[in-house]
Amino acid sequence: MQWWGWVIVALVVVVVVAVALVAVQARRRRGGVIVGGPGPADAAGGTDTGGGQP
Amino acid sequence: MRTSEIATLPVVTLAGDDVAQVKDVVFSADGGAVAGFTLAGRGLLAGPLKQGLSWHHVVGLGPDAVMIADDSALEPVDTVIAAASSTSAGAGSGGNVLGDRVLTDTGSDLGKVSDVVIEYDNADGGPCDVVGYEIEASDALKASTSKGSKHTRLLLPLPDTLAVSSEHVMVPASAEGFVSDDLAGFGAAVQAFRTQLKGGS
Repeated sequence: MQWWGWVIVALVVVVVVAVALVAVQARRRRGGVIVGGPGPADAAGGTDTGGGQP
Repeated sequence: MRTSEIATLPVVTLAGDDVAQVKDVVFSADGGAVAGFTLAGRGLLAGPLKQGLSWHHVVGLGPDAVMIADDSALEPVDTVIAAASSTSAGAGSGGNVLGDRVLTDTGSDLGKVSDVVIEYDNADGGPCDVVGYEIEASDALKASTSKGSKHTRLLLPLPDTLAVSSEHVMVPASAEGFVSDDLAGFGAAVQAFRTQLKGGS
């Protein structure tokens, strides 16, 4: 493979990883409506509702 | 106002600093009021924060931002949730209500919660009341509404005290008679529903 072929492959890998990271973070940041109480919401203090859907 | 309109709103201090954005709305079932918010960072790659915001530290809530005095208003997220827990004893508790099935006390399935409707008046600075659920109506509810099955998303008024678990939310069967598809007129439906409940008890 030519050198520029490896450059393209590397760029594609970087873009895919970046898109995956942003997608994961967007999912973590998506909100919900939680009820105070000893439910799954307050587990581990992280309070990640995982996107608001069951 | 729907809680989906609050999620992702920036939290801004009166000095103009953009310190976080709203992630989850936390409410206490007993009293049906918003207790606070969990927060996420503002950057594209920022995740959930360990800090939350109690409702009593909110100076103003508008369509574009949640206002606080300064960043000392932020406190550990566990404190915010614990504050809601301490007022919800006996009313049941759970995690995220979005997606929960709505059951009446007579055992009818009204649908699935898709959003929560809150009421807040910036002028009086009082509590932020949880007044209803937006639900994806079940076939039975759609069939029983007077307007037929045109709308799949309907607004269901709530009593002052809510019963919530991690899988179901309970409402009085009489709430079915006050279902609305119009947010503008929903306040009147809530008032009428709560007045009827108080009259009946």
